[in-house]
Amino acid sequence: MLTVLLVDDDPEFTDVACTIIEFLGHEVLTAANLEEARDWLKKESFDHILLDFMLPDGSGVHLFDELDALGKRPRVTLITGHPSVRGIIKGLCGPNIDYLVKPIQREEIEAVLSGKTEVQSQSSGSNIKKYFGHLIGESKPMKELYKLIERVSRTSANVMLLGESGVGKEVVAEAIHAASDVEGPYIATNCGAFSKELIGSELFGHEKGAFTGAVGRKSGVFEQAENGTLFLDEITEMPIDMQPNLLRVLENKVVIRVGGTKTIPVNCRVVSATNRTMEAIAESKVLREDIYFRLAVFPITIPPLRERKEDIPLLATAFIDELNRENETQFSWKEGQLETLKEYDWPGNVRELRHFVHRAAIMSDPDKSALELPKTIESPFAKKQSTTPALQAGRTIEDVEKELIYATLEKVNGNKTLAAEMLGISTKTLYNRLHAYGDLSKDD
Amino acid sequence: MNDKEFAALAAHVHDARKPLNRISMQAELVKMALDGSVPPDRAKQALDKIIISTKDCSEALTQMMDALGDSQSES
Repeated sequence: MLTVLLVDDDPEFTDVACTIIEFLGHEVLTAANLEEARDWLKKESFDHILLDFMLPDGSGVHLFDELDALGKRPRVTLITGHPSVRGIIKGLCGPNIDYLVKPIQREEIEAVLSGKTEVQSQSSGSNIKKYFGHLIGESKPMKELYKLIERVSRTSANVMLLGESGVGKEVVAEAIHAASDVEGPYIATNCGAFSKELIGSELFGHEKGAFTGAVGRKSGVFEQAENGTLFLDEITEMPIDMQPNLLRVLENKVVIRVGGTKTIPVNCRVVSATNRTMEAIAESKVLREDIYFRLAVFPITIPPLRERKEDIPLLATAFIDELNRENETQFSWKEGQLETLKEYDWPGNVRELRHFVHRAAIMSDPDKSALELPKTIESPFAKKQSTTPALQAGRTIEDVEKELIYATLEKVNGNKTLAAEMLGISTKTLYNRLHAYGDLSKDD
Repeated sequence: MNDKEFAALAAHVHDARKPLNRISMQAELVKMALDGSVPPDRAKQALDKIIISTKDCSEALTQMMDALGDSQSES
């Protein structure tokens, strides 16, 4: 059961909404404006606030600073009258806010209160299936992924998501949360986004006066994700000297807030993510081994977009549908355009595709349905992936040679005979070199 | 359409959406009453309120037309 504060200035709406929220098994209090809401926040502690964007005495966003200062920050769902407001608020308030767009349906209220958002609205024009409410794709690698998600969702095991930048690790994390039958919310944080000093407070919370600027008590993400799912993005960017603290939480399932003494029990599934490969994690020592085994009980590798090109038309269509809904446009793809999209390698993966679609929609005439594609698909990051690093003065011949050999081997999928032929050396020489690099054992 | 007219239009749309939001919630209540989750008399009240809200919505749209018509004739 949650304690919910509903802030809206329409008494008839709040009256019915209360009946429905109470029926869903929650306790609900109402406020008609910011002032009443502030009064309630002083007297009561809330798990969730449903907040109208437009209130008689100001915008609901004004409440955010006060919420930050609370000991336990409630989840916030903003109620807006117009879909376009959503984009603006998303930029203002970050990803941890949900939205309801009026007119509201009961399922939507149910979904935000349980933390399982993004119910497919019935009015949406497309019939593209979203697996677990989030994932798009009918390709074989994705079907494999769905199977893994389904398996792991039945357990409470910690999951580590591996995959290149832009493959949608956060979306998969949300899908795992949606597939799991859990009561608690989905909380996401980025371990790479905090300084060494602040990450402790973000993860574990802090007590009032724990450090300069700690004006109030704050619960950490582990506490906020109670009985739910905690998504730790860019886990390998977490400072190594903070990792023992994280390990303690994972092992003992209790947190101690920064500056506090009391242990607080926590219970949530931790889904972590990194864009490094498993080998790179082991080699670069960015993650302690003991932490790795705690977090990667169930590792899942998300395939890059170039390995599931048949999904590109589905994704591009889903993105354009979404943009059409937001901007009330009627864009649609032509068959040939989708083919063009499929030919490109998308080194920035789904994120790059989404960005590309968005740009195409902006560039096209909003009164027509035809989309204009730029002549070439380019990304400033594409070069980094497709070519080997440029030669630099001062590198040893051995170094460059080694790199060339490995790049060639990668190109021919490890076929040594073919690689030797391309390099213009004998197979024996190639084997000798690989021996010298310690990459082959004697009997190989 | 200039900024001022657009703001006026946005205000009208806001007024028209308010009854729609009420209708949506009242309809959910009726659905719950049909399931037996809330007493049937609440459903009847809800339906009455839906009818009132449709009139409110229609009224808001009429006002919008009038206001826009005025601004058309001014220009």
